Amino acid sequence: MDSNPAKRRKLDHAQDDAEVALAAAASAGISRSTTFVLEAEELLEYVCPDYDAAFSGADGLLHRIKGLVEGIEAHDQLQIAEAAAKLEKKHKIKVPFPEPRPDGSSNYKVAFAAPSKFNVVGSYVFKTMVKTQKNPAVDMVVVIPESVLQEKDYLDMRYFYKRAYYLAVIAAALKKELGAQGQLSYEYLHGNPLCPVLVFQPKGPAAGTTEPEPPRSQDFRIRILPSAPEGFFPAAKLHLGASLIRKARDGEAPSEPTPFYNSTVAAESTFFPYLKVLRQAEKKSKGFRKACVLGRIWLQQRGFGSDVAQGGFGQFEWALVLALLLQGGDKKGQAALSASLSSTQLFKAMIQFLSVTNFSEKAYVFGSAKADLDAHVESGPVLYDAARQLNIAFKMGSWSAALLHQHARWTRSLLAENAGDQFTPTFILKADVPAHSFDFIAHLDPKKAADQAGLDPRGPAWRLGSRVYRILKRALADNDMGERARVIHVKASACAPWALADGPARETAPLEIGVVFDPLRMARTVDRGPVAGPSAEQQQECARFRKFWGEKAELRRFEGDDARETLVWSSTTPFALCEEIVRYILGRHLKVDKELAVYGGRLPALLSLKPADTAVFNVAKKAFDVFERDVRGLDDLPLRVRQIAPVCAELRHASVSLPELDPSKSWRRPLECVISFEASGKWPESLIAIQRTKIAFLIMIGSLLEKSKPGDVRTHVGLEDSAYDDENLAFLDVLYENGPAFRLRVHSDLEESLLQRQSKNKMSEPWKRQRAATLLASFRRLYVHLPLHNQYMTTCATRFPALSPTLRLVKHWFNAHKLACHFTPEFMELAVLRVFLAPHPWEAPTSPATGFTRVLAFLAHWDWRSDALILDTSGEMTAADRSAIATRLDAWRKIDPHMNHTVLFVATAQEPSGTAWTTLDGQPKPPKVAAARMTSLAKTASRLIKDKGVGLDVRTLFVPSLKEYDVLLHLNKKVLKAALATYPGEPAEAYAASDADAPQHAKFKNLSAHAGEPPLPLAQHPADALLKRLDAVYSHGGPLLFFRGGSPDDATIGAVWNPRMPARTFRVSLPTAYKPASAAAVEAGRKRRAEKKEEESGDEGENRGGEEEEKEEDMVEVDREAILAEIARIGGDVIERIEVKDSS
Amino acid sequence: MSIPATIGDFSVLPVSIPPLPSFPRKVVHHLYVRRSTPKIPTETDARSLFVTNVPVDSTEAHLRSLVTSLVGSGRFESATFEDERKDANNPSPVAAAQPASAAILLRVHGRKRKREEEEEERDKETLARIPSAWTRPLRRSGGTAVVLLADEKSVEQVLKAIAKAHKTRKYPTWGLAGGSAGGKAPPVPPLGSAWLRAHNRLSYPDRAALQASVDAFSALFADREREAAEIAKRLRNEPDEDGFVTVTRGARAAPASQSEAEEARRKMLEKERKRKEELANFYRFQLRERRKEEQAELLKRFADDRKKLDAMRSKKGKFVPET
Repeated sequence: MDSNPAKRRKLDHAQDDAEVALAAAASAGISRSTTFVLEAEELLEYVCPDYDAAFSGADGLLHRIKGLVEGIEAHDQLQIAEAAAKLEKKHKIKVPFPEPRPDGSSNYKVAFAAPSKFNVVGSYVFKTMVKTQKNPAVDMVVVIPESVLQEKDYLDMRYFYKRAYYLAVIAAALKKELGAQGQLSYEYLHGNPLCPVLVFQPKGPAAGTTEPEPPRSQDFRIRILPSAPEGFFPAAKLHLGASLIRKARDGEAPSEPTPFYNSTVAAESTFFPYLKVLRQAEKKSKGFRKACVLGRIWLQQRGFGSDVAQGGFGQFEWALVLALLLQGGDKKGQAALSASLSSTQLFKAMIQFLSVTNFSEKAYVFGSAKADLDAHVESGPVLYDAARQLNIAFKMGSWSAALLHQHARWTRSLLAENAGDQFTPTFILKADVPAHSFDFIAHLDPKKAADQAGLDPRGPAWRLGSRVYRILKRALADNDMGERARVIHVKASACAPWALADGPARETAPLEIGVVFDPLRMARTVDRGPVAGPSAEQQQECARFRKFWGEKAELRRFEGDDARETLVWSSTTPFALCEEIVRYILGRHLKVDKELAVYGGRLPALLSLKPADTAVFNVAKKAFDVFERDVRGLDDLPLRVRQIAPVCAELRHASVSLPELDPSKSWRRPLECVISFEASGKWPESLIAIQRTKIAFLIMIGSLLEKSKPGDVRTHVGLEDSAYDDENLAFLDVLYENGPAFRLRVHSDLEESLLQRQSKNKMSEPWKRQRAATLLASFRRLYVHLPLHNQYMTTCATRFPALSPTLRLVKHWFNAHKLACHFTPEFMELAVLRVFLAPHPWEAPTSPATGFTRVLAFLAHWDWRSDALILDTSGEMTAADRSAIATRLDAWRKIDPHMNHTVLFVATAQEPSGTAWTTLDGQPKPPKVAAARMTSLAKTASRLIKDKGVGLDVRTLFVPSLKEYDVLLHLNKKVLKAALATYPGEPAEAYAASDADAPQHAKFKNLSAHAGEPPLPLAQHPADALLKRLDAVYSHGGPLLFFRGGSPDDATIGAVWNPRMPARTFRVSLPTAYKPASAAAVEAGRKRRAEKKEEESGDEGENRGGEEEEKEEDMVEVDREAILAEIARIGGDVIERIEVKDSS
Repeated sequence: MSIPATIGDFSVLPVSIPPLPSFPRKVVHHLYVRRSTPKIPTETDARSLFVTNVPVDSTEAHLRSLVTSLVGSGRFESATFEDERKDANNPSPVAAAQPASAAILLRVHGRKRKREEEEEERDKETLARIPSAWTRPLRRSGGTAVVLLADEKSVEQVLKAIAKAHKTRKYPTWGLAGGSAGGKAPPVPPLGSAWLRAHNRLSYPDRAALQASVDAFSALFADREREAAEIAKRLRNEPDEDGFVTVTRGARAAPASQSEAEEARRKMLEKERKRKEELANFYRFQLRERRKEEQAELLKRFADDRKKLDAMRSKKGKFVPET
């Protein structure tokens, strides 16, 4: 009994509309990752072409062709050679016989009769085409009537000869009738040389106009595919193991199985059965069609297609596999997938299927097959449709199946993640650029292919490719020795269509070999082969090993191990090792040497990156540990040391140049660290007093260190270049006589809470609060975030072996393009880390080359105006965290739409505020101009990488373009070098204009006042100091923005004028030097103001004056010449030359 | 194009800049000069000139040489730059270091010092300053300065000389020409590499001097603090002439530090949170509300996704597969 039914009912009712809406959402397939679903829907909407517009006239044309073909006169059996000669003579058409062509003596007979059936098949009828597809084709199947064929035609290519003749007859007829309205050519169906087809390309939409237009990529083509009647050839004879090409040229009878030939014959009569399968699937499942479109895009972005050269797995194969899975594919006869799944769910299921079934290693069968198919996997991947007895994957090579498997696994891992952008890597990004995908790329000259004998009808290049793959797989991906390579890929070029009167073009493009490393194992220099034991089995194993590796194999005994067959390689870097092995093994087995061209290894050489660099970084870390111990060992410090943390790039494997450990160098960049003490109540409650106390601490640490290690350590307390007393005032430089130099700053926790309080103090003036907030940000950056960042990057550098060299390359790129002065090193590091932590659509880069190119691609692609760079550094960032970060960015953009304070937004799990690495002292770092320049440079570089392919000379990516700068300041390197050394003994006032002017210094070194005295360290490099001063005077909304790389050797400073400082009315306080305006400037200024009024956008930089009445004679303009003259005076002898671009 | 003689109520003073090897062009820099009329008048206004758009490398010596070349030597007294005037507002780091409340107490209730005491104090404060790391500052680009001349007549003469310069087109030259500085004034430190080197040298001050400066600061700071504490203590029980007792910080034996207060507050919040947590999911209505919240959250996420999608749609190329 329900005691209170009324109440209960009410409660039930309270589970209200929300639940209903949710249930609806769930049933619509929007249950979990809604964004992905919505985005996919949107994508589908965008990519589906308007069939009526794009294929206008296609149906009419098809009917016309059908009529024409039906009207061809039938003729009786003719001798094949005779018939071919007749066609060539009469119509100037060559019969596209497959190789080997029938010779004149063969007595095959050919005939022609009207086709028994016509049908349009393929993605046109299923409406699964996409806009981005090149040359969409409408496929019309023409079934050769049984009267023309014989059952035994499946043997010895006879069917294909007849088919070729049949096609040529149709071509002849169409040429006569349609030749004027379009272009007819032959082409291989899916690159299969057994199956030529006829292609008709209509001449543009407005046929009959006089202007001959080149065919656009969107213009459709019609392909005519002759096919065998359904069930005509006995399926039992066409099994994968059969040997159907028995007539070998040289007389002997090879009994080698011909799986590709067999499958092609079988596939010839399956157009209609498969059309039925697809129709059924489409009817049964609503999401099927869209899932096929998604599949097409996914495959296309990864370079897959039905063509043999594109891997042999395209939209058709995708649709077929999906249909078979829906139909009841598995062994028990039950459907693997439910028909009620939505399109994205089907897509995901398909990805899942492809990622778990590796059909290049184990045959996969839909339905139940009698025969054991696993034996055939050796010759190629097997994906067997038992009902129609066809290997669907017959066009694939083992490598393309492996790559497809790999891509499916990567996409699956992306889709399994519950956060981040899943959509863009899955469908939008192009993942088939070799430079992005492969660590090692080689080209093999196809001329080598000529001597590859074999029966495979796919041609000599294919045969060469498959041999190369087998050899490399054994050499690089040997399981027992530890796989060096994760992916080995071989790609042959596709065959282009050819004219009716010609034969197919010979392949000339090189064979492309790509390898993805396992970075740790690829660096191995000694391979341990099988144990050389006494047993017969072991001996056999060793013999095989020796046979494969040749004289490179030698017997070695290892410590605590048996004697083993061993390979010893001489190279050191992973790339060079790979090249050495590939060259050796291909040279041994295929006698290739000069025909092999290797690409991709040039990038690390630019910086002369070596594997031994890691050791140098580690030495620096060790030196730091010594330093830490020395400081901790000081007994007389009033507070106990809690932590000394490194905060510089050198101590996180991320600096362009190696840490300087050699004390003899004139200038050592000190390794920066921060020291924090245990909590104490003794710090004074005043920022200024805290800063003084810090100085006292530094002085004390310095003298204690000198005392504890006399002669070993020199210390100097240096002053920061700070303007106010409440900023950090000083640092301590500790110079080891036989090691690196360190720079120490003191952390006081009270400082943080004081700043926090000030920044929140509602009672104080806004500028004070603002200032406190800025100081607080700097404080957190230096003492909180940087130590964490250092720690995290160090961990990552061990986790990803390719990270450190990539970091250095990317920083070098920023340096080369004079961007480095605008970006914090931490930002650059995080941008690099992005392609390692969120590497989709690949996995984390495994070499500096792929890392670098992908970073460029990412920078080119990143729309920083609206997207934050979010890095899941903790591994457990939730979607809520991400959306909170995105909201924060939105908020910033709302308060600051012109991006005067925040431009880039980079958030990590440890630092979710997003601005720690992209603002410095309240200024955006980089400013918008620099960020835009970064993007455009990255875009240009990415385009070059994509367009030029592997042949690109990577050095060109690092050549700065100076012509964009309005002004160039050329620094005098000699003077800068002379300015490096200062001595504690000299008074500061004694420095003359330049040491170069005072030759007596140079002449008698020993006579100078400071002989033997060690020089002072450098607080900052003079060029940096100069740039900082110039920046302070002219940048930050001022007239000039300077660009310079971060390396001390960069002796050219670029600068651009601020275009947003037009002529203006004179005021007492001007933002920079102005002169009375010329008439032209007044005019330009007025125009600009008028534009601005139209835009109605309030810009801070110029609106300071407000709207004042315009009096012509009171107009002033920026006095560029005066400013340049000022810079010349400031720089003095340091600036050698100021180069001004003509402003015309 | 001719240079206008005046702009607004300013006279334009063109100064020709001698070419340098790195920038071999003859350049004219325009200074704008008028009588000084600050918002808060001072007694020297009548014999002062207000100059704006001074070059960034200006020093007093530069302006002296400029005035000398216009009206001859002996007229120039001193020049004050914009940033120096700002400095005048916060006189010493020690004073700035005091908490605001203490500063007020000291100002209002601190005992009057004798002159010599005051001078002594000022010396100490000067010592407590951290030495500058630059031999010569750079001015703000387009900044201002006030030039103090010998008398009112000189002001008139300078303005006349400027007008004359326009007529004769003989502009004064920027620099330290003529040695008219009188030889007594210290030479102006050069810019360029010497300046940068001197900066590095000055960045590493003598350790003893630095220590002395820090010590002086600490001593002064402690003195002031103590003094402020004493005043506060005195005021605590002492009604002023109107009978009010000033409320001051530090009534307890040991003054409460703010960090302690924050700690206490944090503890209290923690307690509160714990108490609430224990009672979560206790009542049925709580469960119901939670579920409702979750649903609302889901719906909101859905709406958010939609919005995001709309935003993406409005941008081109987000849904175009790359080719």
